[in-house]
Order: sequence, then C-alpha cells, then structure tokens
Amino acid sequence: MTLSLAGVGYRYAGASRPSLDDIDLELPEGVVVGVAGASEAGKTTLCLVASGLAPRTVGGQIRGRITLDGEEVDAWPMHRLSQRIGIGFQNPATQLSQVASTVFEEVAFGPMNLGLERDEVVTRTWDALATMGIDGLADRDPRHLSGGQQQLVAIAGLLAMRPAHLVLDEPTAQLDPAGTRLVADAIARLARDGAGILVAEQKTDLIAAVASTLIVLADGRVVLRGPAAEVLADPRLPELGVPQPSAVRLELAAVAAGVGEALHG
Amino acid sequence: MLMRWIAALAAFVIVIVIGMVSIGNFGTGVDPDNFFDTEGANSFALIGALALVVAFVVYAAVEYAQTRSFASIARQFDTRTIVLIPIAVAINIILGATVANALKIPIYLDSIGTILVGVLAGPVAGALTGFLSNILWTYVIPPPFQNGPAAAFGIVAVVIGVLAGLIGRAGWLRPRPNRPMAQLGIGALITVAVILGMAWLAYLGWTSEAFGGTVNLDVAGSDAIFTVLGWLVLVLVAGTVVGLLAVLFIRRDLTAAYVVVAGLGTGIIAALISAPISANVFSGVTGGGTDFLVAALRQAGADIGAATLGQGLISDPIDKITTFFVVYLILAAMARRTIARFPQGERLLEKGSEGEGSEDGEWRGATS
Amino acid sequence: MAGSDQLTVERGVPDFLGRPGPTAFHRLNPLTKATLATMTAIAAVVLGGLLGPIVLVTCAVLLPALVAGVFRQLVRTAGLLALPIAVSAFVVNLFFFPGAQQVLVRIGPVTATAEGLAFALEILVRILTISGAVTLFYLTTRPADLVLDLERRGISPRVAFVANASVQTVPAMVDRAAQITAAQRARGLDTEGSLWRRIRGVLPIVGPVILGSIAEVEERTMALEARGFTRPGRRTLLWAPSDSAMEGILRWGMLLALVALIAVRMTGTWR
Repeated sequence: MTLSLAGVGYRYAGASRPSLDDIDLELPEGVVVGVAGASEAGKTTLCLVASGLAPRTVGGQIRGRITLDGEEVDAWPMHRLSQRIGIGFQNPATQLSQVASTVFEEVAFGPMNLGLERDEVVTRTWDALATMGIDGLADRDPRHLSGGQQQLVAIAGLLAMRPAHLVLDEPTAQLDPAGTRLVADAIARLARDGAGILVAEQKTDLIAAVASTLIVLADGRVVLRGPAAEVLADPRLPELGVPQPSAVRLELAAVAAGVGEALHG
Repeated sequence: MLMRWIAALAAFVIVIVIGMVSIGNFGTGVDPDNFFDTEGANSFALIGALALVVAFVVYAAVEYAQTRSFASIARQFDTRTIVLIPIAVAINIILGATVANALKIPIYLDSIGTILVGVLAGPVAGALTGFLSNILWTYVIPPPFQNGPAAAFGIVAVVIGVLAGLIGRAGWLRPRPNRPMAQLGIGALITVAVILGMAWLAYLGWTSEAFGGTVNLDVAGSDAIFTVLGWLVLVLVAGTVVGLLAVLFIRRDLTAAYVVVAGLGTGIIAALISAPISANVFSGVTGGGTDFLVAALRQAGADIGAATLGQGLISDPIDKITTFFVVYLILAAMARRTIARFPQGERLLEKGSEGEGSEDGEWRGATS
Repeated sequence: MAGSDQLTVERGVPDFLGRPGPTAFHRLNPLTKATLATMTAIAAVVLGGLLGPIVLVTCAVLLPALVAGVFRQLVRTAGLLALPIAVSAFVVNLFFFPGAQQVLVRIGPVTATAEGLAFALEILVRILTISGAVTLFYLTTRPADLVLDLERRGISPRVAFVANASVQTVPAMVDRAAQITAAQRARGLDTEGSLWRRIRGVLPIVGPVILGSIAEVEERTMALEARGFTRPGRRTLLWAPSDSAMEGILRWGMLLALVALIAVRMTGTWR
C-alpha cells in the first residue's frame, strides 16, 4: 500500500499564507522517509496532512491530491484513515488516553474503539506489545513510566490499529538520551521489519540511522530530496537550519584538518 | 423538529404544576415587607430546575424516537469538548475544594470549569460538566479534596452549565475592544452599579441586628470572624471591580459589562435553586465559609429558608461574576485557533477575525 | 522477538484486569454499591430525628464496613470528611439557634442552648451517615469499574470516557500544581503565612496549571482521533464487573424502600 501526496498544499484556518505548498511525496510500504528542516519549516504540518488530521481534526484547507493506492481519501473519516496511517507525536504524556490504568488497556484502546471482536482486540494488543518489546510492562501504570517507555507505549497503541504506515513527528524531541536510544532502536526495528514510516526529526543522527530517503523542507516547500546519505552530506544543510549528523560533521572536520585519508584508511 | 420543543415545553409545565401543587407554597401570599414570597420563590426555582431536566429528557426521547439518534445534542460533544471536560471537572474540584476547605471565605469558585465548557461547547456539555463535577466530588474523589454535600447540589451545577451555554451562544463573551467612550461609559455605569449594589447588600448583612446595628470594625469577641470575612469578601470584590474596570478602560473592551451582567444573572438563579437544598437537606451547613454567613443571618432573626437564600444572594453573584471574569481571562489567553474549533468557538472571537478562508477553487476544507 | 516464539502460550485477556475484590462486599456489582450509598444518603435526609439515622447508619454503613474489613478506615476517612461540616454545624447551631429558650451555659457573649444542641446532634448524625455511606462506596469500589459497568449497560462510550478521564485528571492536575509550586518556591514564592499571602501565593500557581492543561487540549484531541475515537457506536469491552439476578432484585428493593419511606414521611404517618 502506497501513500501518495501530489501537489499538496495546506493552510491553517485564518491564515493568509499556506504552511505547505506543492508537496510531492511517495511513501510505499517498507521504506523509511525522513523529513528534516528548521523549526516552522512545515515538518509537523506535513505529518498532520499525511495522516489526515489536517484538515479533519485541526481545520484549515488543503489542495492537491492525497491517495492510498490510487484511491482518494478526502472523504474518509478519521477513524477509517487511522487504520491505514498511524501518527505519533512528540509529547509522550499527552498521547496517553487517560482512561487506562495498565499498559495493556492503553494499547488496547484503539482496537476497542474500532469495535472489533474481543479476541481480535486481545491478539492485536499482545502483538503490538511484543513488536515494541514491552510485554513486560503490560501490567504497569502508563502514567508512571519514563518518557521513553511512554513513547514506546504510544507507538504500540498505534501499531495495534494495524496501519500500513506510521507517521512520527519528532518522536524523541522531549526524551532524555536513554529514552531517545530506546525509541530510536524501536524505530530501527520497525523499519527492518518492513513498516512504511515517515519520520520528522531535528536530530539528523536518528534519520541517518533509519531513513533510506530524506526530504528537506524550507518555508513549506521541498528543497532537497534524495537518498538519505547523499542529502545528509549536502553542504547546504546548515544554511537551511538543519544540523548535520555527527558522522558528517566528523568527516568534514577531519578533512578540514587534513586527516580525511586517515578516517577512511 | 417543532414536536420536540412542544413536548419538552409541555413536560416542563407539567412538572412545575405538579411540583407547586405538592409543595403547596403558591398560595401563601405576598409579604408586603419583602415584595416577594420567600418560601414560594425558594421552592419554585428548584422545581423549575427539576422541570428543566425532565424537559431535556423528554426532548431527547422525542428526538430519538423521530430520528434514532441524538444529533442536536451529539453535535456539542466533539472530541475536543470531550477532552476539555475532564480538565474542566478537575479545575472545578481542585479550586472548589481549596476554597471550601482551606480559605473559608463565603464564595465557592467551583464553577469555572463548568462555565468554560458551557460557553465553548454549549448548554448540554456545560450541564454535563457541572453534574459530573459534583457527583465525582462526593463519591469518587478522595480526601482531602472530597466534599460530601456537593452531589446534592448537582442540579445547581447543571443549570449553571446550561446558562453558560446560552450566554456563550448569544455571543455575550465576544471581545468588543476599542469602543467609543460613550458605550464604555454606559458599560462602566452598569458594572459599577452592580458591584456597588452587591457590596451594599453585603454591608447590610454585616450590619444586621446581631451586631447591634452598626458595623463594628474593631476586632472584638465572636464578631471578629465575621468582620474578617467581610473584609476578605470586600477585597475580592474590589479586586474583581478593578480587573473589570481595567478591561473596560485600558483595553476599551465593552464585554466587561456583559461579564458582570452574566455573572449577576447566573448568580441569582443559582442562589434561588441552591437555597432550598441547603436549607432542607443540610440546614444551612455545608462546611464552607458560607456557613458563618448563614449563621449571622439566622441570628438576625431570619428562618433557615430566608437565611440560606440571603446568604446565597450575597455569595453567589459575587462568585459568579468573579468566575465569568476568570473564564473571560482564560479565553483571552487561549490560542484563537483552539477556540475556533470548539462548537461555539466562533461566537467567542472578535467578529471577522477568524474564518476558514475563502474556498477559492482548489482549496477545500474537511469533508469528513 | 519476545512473545512471537511462544505460540503455545495462552495469551488471553490478562488476569490483572478485573481482579475481584478481597471480600464478598467488595465483589458486589459496583452499581449495587452505588445504589446502597445513594439510597442511604437520601434516606438520611428524609428520616428526621436521631433514632432513625442511627439505625440507618448502623445497618447500611457500619455493618457492611465490618463485612468488608474497612471499618477502621471508614471511621477515619468519613470522620475527616465530616469534620469541617461537623465543626460548622456545632458552632453555628449550638450558639446561634434562633428562638432557643433552654440555656445550657454562657461563654462570654454567646450562649449555648439545649435546643441548639439537639439540633446540632441531629445534623451531625445525618452528616456522618451521608459521609459514611459515600466513603464506604469509595473504599470498596474502583470508579473505573462502575463506569465500565454502566457502559456495559448502555451509556455512551463518550460519556464513559469523560467520567474515567475526569477521575484520572484530578490527581494528575494536583501533581502538576505540586510541581509548579515547588518550582515557584525555588524562585522565592511565599506560600505560608497570612491568609492574604496565601491567596497571593496561589495565583502564580493556578494560572500555569489551568492554562497549561488547556494548552494540551489540541494535542490530546489529535492523539485520540488518531486511535479511532471518532467512530460512532459501541466499543468493545475487555471485561465487565459481574452481576446477578439477586443483586438486581436487591437494587430495586432498596429503591422501593426509599420511595416508601418518602411517601410515609410526606403523608406524615410517622414522625
């Protein structure tokens, strides 16, 4: 299943200028696409539009075509779209449903809302917990977990919806280094297992680790696009407000110091 | 569609008639000194509130019978509202418990959440918020926040929520900045008149017979408690007055006057409904700072019905004006985008400041 | 990957969901316990005098509390709950009962009266009964269980959500307030001292707590809708509290008893 955005633009309610303009994006299954850009460049907006929350939940207007395997999804209600595309956010605590006293119930929240058979709900929940490696947390209270663990629970909750694609908006932005490692490893695992993921990140190191393709946004438009390794080595990144990943910075520093050969040798 | 309203109205009238007949207060005549019959007025408001609830149930039932759904009610309960309500309930309970248990001043401050949800989402949502707050406050919240009597006043909270919904729908809380001095002048007049009127009522309460007919500001004996409380209330009132006048003249925002009138009206109605509950169920004692006020009035010779009503008419308008003012401040601090997405959000924003934008050609809004 | 190899392991509804309570009273259906608490509270108001409420509180509150093993906790908690009201009731009625004739003792400018004492005692017992009934419910029932039971019986999942989320939000907001208080204290905020100081100290905390919570509304809305929250109709429940025909009869019985009591009191056939 492929999610396609063609010529997509978006403007928030009451805004005069669009926040996104002329976006073309293909997200097939099994591919991880990274989105980088300075803050306010449109990363979050792109995530909201790709997942359908914009314009359904947040209002505003779009133009262009968004299709799933060629079928236009404009008329799909949010609860139908959420079974194809899951979206995760930065703040782990605000993604908790607040009605679950155990991680199991928290992850089961989505399938329960869908009205599936109880056995199906239970199976999906256990599978999602296993995929994220948090079976052992099943009976814990989600409010008392660390930020990183809560983020894993949030993603597990999305996986229980069995979406074909995942959109993650800066999943490690509010986590400490330990949490960042937890979540980054989980995303890498998901990618290896063949999920189609769109991940927006400031931390280009994370993108370097998991993404195969990378697009860079500036002012709501795509300005760079290509294989992740190439784009990350592009010298224009810093002026676009995107920090280069440590590997690239190391390379550049070594070359500048005249020891580039030693790095590769 | 008309059928529903007719059925609801019929139910409303029927319940009122049954209520009046069984309580039998309507025939006790008018007291020439007070210009109204305290007993009758007391129970009438409570019966009215009950009638309102029954009418609502009838309305919903007819709608369901006609359309197999509750569309007009469900519209007020989109996801955003559902997310806001628990927050509003928590605000109600926490602030209300703080005032009742720790501050001991004769106001409540337990309706900020109810009124916020009411103006943003509508009457039914506001009513649910109020009802839920009171029920949870008694049955489910652990001490030290728990408040035993709260559940009995659930119906008062329901009516407050409904009133807030109607006030929001009527656009009363829409900011009206930069008005000409003439309009502001009238607004200021109303504001100051209402505030002074209530301050005078409070003053009357304090100078009742219990204290020998004069306000004794010297701290002496048991009078001390009442004097201190009196000063506190005056300070609060003064603070709200200053705040309202600031909004009125610094921001040149006429809505400050609307806030005062909304608070006054809501406060009076709330007092009318809660007085008989307080008198008949709790004999005027609910554990908050208002108890002392009731005691002072009884000492002055009023029976328990009149004492609770008197206390209510002093505390409630002050409380509700302050609450509406706080809600107005909260709305001012919220992002425009967020307010606009609530069911009644458009009516709380300045005219013409927000819109979905023209649907020119290719731009389209949400279709689902 | 953990779990995927254990195909032979039974992975049903986990047993930590819906664990039954320790005593028979705990295991009663939550609606039954709620009915008991409500009927008792209303009856405490309807019954006048001293004897009725005392019998009521013994049968409907204290005895069940003994069965449920929460007697001591109940007395402590209900006492705490009723304390501010009791103090108010006593002070107000003992000394300020209008029209009282029998003077007990004079303390300075105020007089304690016998009528006032009798009235104060009546109110005290009534209030203790109500707070006892409500506390018994609170001590033996998880609110989420009651909401789940109601949802099974047909209330809208959205209303159920609001009720559950409200219960969780109150302690969450208190924690948030505690955090902000600690942070403000570190910046020199004064939270002790005179009443005026305390009121002034409350404001810089109330503001961020309220506004911070409201600012989260947008994010939470999106997170819920991303998990199918907008789907109309019933949702699947993993489990629900058990119920029995006996308990159903019991609940109706309590309701009828209360109605009968009200009717009797209104027609004045019994004091």
